[in-house]
Amino acid sequence: MTTTRPRRGLGAATLLLVLLALIALLGLTGCGGSAGTGSSGGSPSPAASGPITVTDDAGKAVTLKQPAARVVSIAPADTESAFALGAGSKVVGDTTFCDYPAAAKALPKVGDFANPSVEKIVALRPDLVLAAGGIQANLRSELENLGLQVFVVDPHDLAGVMADIEKMGRLMGVSDGAAKVVQQMKVTIAAVQQKVGSLPKAKVFFEIYGKPLMAAGSGTFINDLIATAGGINVGAQAGAGYPSFSTEVLIKVNPDVYVAVKGSQSEPGAIAKRPGYGSLKAVKDGRVYTIADNLVVRPTPRLAQGLEELAKMIHPEAFTTQ
Amino acid sequence: MTRSGWANGWLPVVGVSGLFVACLVISLSFGPASLSLSQLLHYVTAGPGDRQPGSTIFWQIRMPRVLLAFVVGASLSVAGVILQDLFLNPLTDPYVTGVSSGAALGATVGIVLHLPGMPWMTVLAMTGGLATLGIVWTAARRKARIDVYVLLLAGVTISYLATAIVSVLMIRAGQDMHAIVYWLLGSFSGRSWPEVKIALIAIPFLIVPLFFVREMNIMLQGEKRALELGVDVERTKRVLLLTAAVLTAVAVSVSGIIGFVGLVVPHVVRLLVGPNHQRLLPVALLGGAAMMGVADLASRTMLAPTEVPVGVVTTFFGAPLFVYLLRRRRA
Repeated sequence: MTTTRPRRGLGAATLLLVLLALIALLGLTGCGGSAGTGSSGGSPSPAASGPITVTDDAGKAVTLKQPAARVVSIAPADTESAFALGAGSKVVGDTTFCDYPAAAKALPKVGDFANPSVEKIVALRPDLVLAAGGIQANLRSELENLGLQVFVVDPHDLAGVMADIEKMGRLMGVSDGAAKVVQQMKVTIAAVQQKVGSLPKAKVFFEIYGKPLMAAGSGTFINDLIATAGGINVGAQAGAGYPSFSTEVLIKVNPDVYVAVKGSQSEPGAIAKRPGYGSLKAVKDGRVYTIADNLVVRPTPRLAQGLEELAKMIHPEAFTTQ
Repeated sequence: MTRSGWANGWLPVVGVSGLFVACLVISLSFGPASLSLSQLLHYVTAGPGDRQPGSTIFWQIRMPRVLLAFVVGASLSVAGVILQDLFLNPLTDPYVTGVSSGAALGATVGIVLHLPGMPWMTVLAMTGGLATLGIVWTAARRKARIDVYVLLLAGVTISYLATAIVSVLMIRAGQDMHAIVYWLLGSFSGRSWPEVKIALIAIPFLIVPLFFVREMNIMLQGEKRALELGVDVERTKRVLLLTAAVLTAVAVSVSGIIGFVGLVVPHVVRLLVGPNHQRLLPVALLGGAAMMGVADLASRTMLAPTEVPVGVVTTFFGAPLFVYLLRRRRA
């Protein structure tokens, strides 16, 4: 019977590890330590042949002799960006988590986001691997030891995302596509800023998960998007990343707007019925919304769309047709 | 018994009752959202139903959570005392019966299925816990007798099986993995009156063992001796085992798997008041409740406005204490 003891000890330790891994997984979009370094070094003209060198979010220079022709993406966000830039045909493999655009689902899979198979990646003979930061940090050195070029996308705000898209465009020889995408993002962002810039800030609570209640904290895209959309992120006071959040404090702070990521635990009607939520201003005013998580947590061009949707939730008055 | 009879008999119970009330008041008075004394008095006298944020915090968030923590703490401690006695093993805790793993499986299914309408997670956890108890009980039954060792082995085996299934579900769960992991760590976060209503099932089962104090004391001397002294050993074992299992199932289904309370509280109480169940049981009941209340207070306030799962708090403070106690035993 004493044999149960070490087993449970191990169980608890494993659980904690899993939890840490989850935090890291969610944090991959957020709290990257490295600030986005300048736009690039190396060759200025994308059209010119010759080596292409860019510095990625891990602060490492990545050099390709010529634009990549075979790309394996092991991060859903990178897959999305590659397709958005017009380099979808160059992607020869991605993960089971890569669900957008639809064409990405049909590609050969190298595993899931947390555990891609190094063997399968190598077998696809990529000349560029697109990865994320966080839990994929160790994988990078493993792949590099096998002679592969790895570009890590781990930005921490909208500006960083646009810088990464431009760099990916250069690496894959689709700089024109990248420029177009970035221009489109800038237009959307500027339009939102112009609409909400002069409006009073609204208190926004962004729910990542309902049970237990988890908020979008500081250092996340959501935090940046809320600020850009004319809101104050209540979750930031609980710290960085995606911290669990006290319901008592939520009721005390009493946000004007409540946004939850879509999921069956987070239907607006069900949220309003949770214990104690009846006294929330956002609930009384009918300002509980849901948003697709992939629009706000992945460092992709779709973040601009997420920003627009958030801004409409936070300041609907700015978007009413004249 | 003559000179210090009262002190030996009832002083610890009176003392722990005071501690219980003090911890209850403290747990209700403090939280991550600070409420002043006058506010608290106002909410208490005005009663629930007020839509003011402060009143909502007190009646809808804090009160049910504190009550739940107290019932769970009491349940795990009493179940721990019973099972350590019956298995004559100091390392036993309420989770060895496999009931908790069965409940974990039920809760995981509840989380993954996203059924609307009621606290399915809790209901399915309860169902899973009691179903496991049924299986283990059937396995351990020899005519009218319950073979405690078969029960233990069957419990551990079922526990492994349930844990394996939970792991598979967890890997396939995607985003729900958070909910499962947090549930397994044990927490009172987000619990309210529906869970308290389910937890009330535990109250009669907390009282039952108090009627078996004499039998439990005698059985500590071995089953044979107890039989000679006229104790209906099998009946006592059946009632106590079922009681402990139901207490565990209730506790786990409303709060997840909170470690160390069911293991450490009985030991601490035994060190303080000795092995006589007349004192041991009530002190473990009240002390366990108070201890869990304080642990949850720490879980709510330590890193406010974020929360630490209460299972982490109890393990964090429980583990060193337990090692200390083990060393003391040896000395």
